Amino acid sequence: MSKKYDAIIIGAGVIGTPIAYELAKKGYKTLNVDKLPDAGEGSTAGSCAIVRAHYSTEDGVAFAYEGFKYWNDWENYLENVEDEKGLAKFMKTGSLLIKSQGHDWRKVKKHYDAVGVDYKEMSNEEVLKMVPVVDMHEFWPVKRPEDPSFFDDPAQMLEGALFCPEGGYVNDPALSAHNIMRAAEKYGAEFMFNAEVVDIRSQDGRVAGVTLKDGTQIDAPIVVNVGGPHSFKVNQMADGVWEGCNIKTKALRHEVMHCPSPDGYDYLNDGYHMSDGDIGCYYRPEVGNMFLIGSEDPECDPQEWVDPDEFYAGKGGPGRDNQLTDAQWKAQCYRLARRIPSLQVPNQPKGVCDLYDCSDDWIPVYDKSDLDGFYMAIGTSGNQYKNAPVVGAMMADLIDAGEKQGLDHDKTPFQFKMRYTGRVLDVGFFSRKREINYDSSFSVNG
Amino acid sequence: MKKIGLFIEFKDDEIKPANDGMVTMAQGDGHELFALVVNADAAACRERLSAYGVSAVVDITAGGGAWHPDGWADAVVQAMNACGIETLMGLTSPQGRDLLPRIAAVLDAPLVMDCVGVDLDRNVARTTQYSGKAMAEIQLTGRHHIYGIRAGAVSPAPRAAAAEVHAFSAVEPTASGIEVLSTRPGEAGTVDLAEADIIIAGGRGMKSGENFKLLQDCARAMGAAVGASRVAVDEGWVPYTFQVGQTGSKVNPKVYIACGISGSVQHFAGMKSSEMIIAVNKDPGAAIIGKCDYYIVGDLFEIIPEVTRALGAAG
Amino acid sequence: MKIYVCVKHVPDSAATITIRDGSRIEENITFLMNPYDEHAITEAAGLRSQLPDAEVVAVCVAGPAAENTLRSAMAMGADRSILVVADRQIDSMLTARALQAAIEADGTPHLILAGKESIDAEGMQTMFRLARYFGMPAATNAVKISLEADGAVVESEKEAGSRDILRLTLPCVIGAGRGLNTPRYPTLPDIIKARKREVKKIDLADLDVSSPGGKTEILSLAPVAENREPREIAGDAAAAARELVRILKEEAKVL
Repeated sequence: MSKKYDAIIIGAGVIGTPIAYELAKKGYKTLNVDKLPDAGEGSTAGSCAIVRAHYSTEDGVAFAYEGFKYWNDWENYLENVEDEKGLAKFMKTGSLLIKSQGHDWRKVKKHYDAVGVDYKEMSNEEVLKMVPVVDMHEFWPVKRPEDPSFFDDPAQMLEGALFCPEGGYVNDPALSAHNIMRAAEKYGAEFMFNAEVVDIRSQDGRVAGVTLKDGTQIDAPIVVNVGGPHSFKVNQMADGVWEGCNIKTKALRHEVMHCPSPDGYDYLNDGYHMSDGDIGCYYRPEVGNMFLIGSEDPECDPQEWVDPDEFYAGKGGPGRDNQLTDAQWKAQCYRLARRIPSLQVPNQPKGVCDLYDCSDDWIPVYDKSDLDGFYMAIGTSGNQYKNAPVVGAMMADLIDAGEKQGLDHDKTPFQFKMRYTGRVLDVGFFSRKREINYDSSFSVNG
Repeated sequence: MKKIGLFIEFKDDEIKPANDGMVTMAQGDGHELFALVVNADAAACRERLSAYGVSAVVDITAGGGAWHPDGWADAVVQAMNACGIETLMGLTSPQGRDLLPRIAAVLDAPLVMDCVGVDLDRNVARTTQYSGKAMAEIQLTGRHHIYGIRAGAVSPAPRAAAAEVHAFSAVEPTASGIEVLSTRPGEAGTVDLAEADIIIAGGRGMKSGENFKLLQDCARAMGAAVGASRVAVDEGWVPYTFQVGQTGSKVNPKVYIACGISGSVQHFAGMKSSEMIIAVNKDPGAAIIGKCDYYIVGDLFEIIPEVTRALGAAG
Repeated sequence: MKIYVCVKHVPDSAATITIRDGSRIEENITFLMNPYDEHAITEAAGLRSQLPDAEVVAVCVAGPAAENTLRSAMAMGADRSILVVADRQIDSMLTARALQAAIEADGTPHLILAGKESIDAEGMQTMFRLARYFGMPAATNAVKISLEADGAVVESEKEAGSRDILRLTLPCVIGAGRGLNTPRYPTLPDIIKARKREVKKIDLADLDVSSPGGKTEILSLAPVAENREPREIAGDAAAAARELVRILKEEAKVL
């Protein structure tokens, strides 16, 4: 390969494509390499694509709220690019955070106030008016249906919810990555598919390029790891990178269920995205008038850390491969059925089983590395889809500051100014060298 | 050498083409092939059956009206006994599904349905199980053996014989507990999915029921049957009788054209044995693209009308 | 009056099937109720309201894990259930005998419903054998059932949407088809109620059934290999369409 690139980005999902887009806009000649056939086909496609602002840290809330603005302004963000597959749609349903013992909602409220997030407090009665199918009893703590007390009658009522009208979800996450790819291509960004990176070459303490499975070598002075669930494997290919991270990433198996909405309730058109820590679930509408039910990984549920290659190959056996399990189907659907007593649960599991690229504290790593020129946007932990366009802008600024302005981000952390909200974010928050952030929810909530 | 009974199916008074493959499957090493024809014009199909190696056509008259599931089952059993036939083959068609298990129940004989191969010497059948994911070899024991054959499992191969027609009148059976009140015909001119040579099927990508007209037009131009994935049926775009898959029809046409179908495991369970699979999908990452023979990545709403046009031009 | 519904505990159609010892499947996968049986249970629950003092009893012949499927059947409307515990896979002929013996020991059926076929063995015959052993009439692929005083009128779907309209004397055996109804899946209150309902367990050996007419025995089971090599038909819509027609004509030879 004779072509020379300024930056190679490993991965063309919803984080990899906006990094290419923003770098290309700055004049970098970029190439994304992805082992799959098209943009967004990996774990991005399995994302629930929720757009919400509640995070456990103020920076987390601010970052997510910035993301809202991008999704709201999707065509403009893409500079009105045409995509032959059409454009992904931001479904602004509004987002209900149930006040429960499962979420530190008081902290979220404080962050909302600090950041200026538009929200309203709702009583149980108001929630019932919005979502007439719910039972606002408290079911805490989260249990599994194998536990007989799962079926105990509840005694207490919940305390209402926080409603954030700007929240929602993106209807087709894979398509959103594809859209950004098309926008990036307008600036000369290139994309190479069915291309698996097997080695990251370096020379004299600086990254030199990547080697593909078919032996092709591609050179660039900058390489960015956006490998999603494969991120730890990619880091391990680069000299000293994995060892230089205090925060590590691993692939966590995660099941998302699709259960039909109760008869007579048009959840697809009338429903909201809801985060319900009381039952350890989040849910949003899905085509076919389905409830898409994600799990907030309550303590009683098993966590399966898997090898991503084996997982996607369907190996590893039940509960470790990419197929839904009956036990988890029942756990997630029955939990939602506590909240929605008229929910009818089919016998056959339906949904998506994919991987989180999970970091030690469920907060991502957006950083440089111990190898010059090698960067990473990893550890998204199932909670960064909504932030993806902001991550693209931030990573491009970080890379530019490091490469063009000689900033030592480890010594003097880069300060990222957000485009829409104008807030300044200390990117050191996402450092690979950080100690585990105990403010984190240690869950998909981030 | 065995006497093999072949239950011959008709549609609109014509012998169904799928019988030829079944008869071919029975040819083996000099078995004596008896075509069992119930309440139909046996003489008219003598020549056709002879061409595939049938040496006797048993012209069975069964009482109880033109069609009666128990009456026919009983009549076939009587004819088998009268001719000394202990092995019976029939098609795994809607009629075969209604009739062959009844015959097996009357004889208390083992039955394997949907066979893709039979070894008549060893009494072994080959069929798929678990949604087409496994191929099973099944031993049948006992005196009688019954096989339901998958339409199209074997290509017809002529073998000349000279069949004689023997008339057989079945004794009126004792009251069966079933009264056939009426038979309501299906839609005229529709090609049955299970026996079609070409199927063109639509899935989620069809977006609406009206859009299936595109497939109907194309199907008419190429003499194909129209099928659908479960999504299209669940969305109410087409009736469930169109459904190909795990809980729909299992088909094995010569060509299966999947339009806007992602290719779930359950869908493949119904069509994976098609000789050629062609996928038309806008998504290059769709599962079906990796499991077909030919694929077109593109918009089916542009491509299918072009195919219809090209067929028209090709005459 | 009793309505018996025969249900089967089958692997999830989405599950990866792994074959062990060349003759059976690895069973550590998700098993659930055979999808056609969901239609049978739903129909039985609907018919119950038309019959005086009717009771719906689900019956299953399988290993102990099938209790899960019977719980589903009860959550979908069965009042109680019977599990004939078999320590091995048995064929349709013996299954029908076991079902008959278990039902006979339990009560007098007014009606027996089943799915028209199972999606694992795909044998399509057990319901007919059961009917024969009982001396009852049978109809398969039912898309409509109307109960009358002295019989059941069943619409049995055939080829290309055609239907036989049959009147069956009662008691009878009816195989449910896809078009019969929309399965009514359970709500949490239904599931909670079903938890308290009885699953009566009978050992297959205690039923003392045999199959004098013969049997079917799996000699070998092998994975079906998928060995297609996908090739792209490139070009714009018109060019791709022309190439497709050429392939139909010259390679597949179907035109």
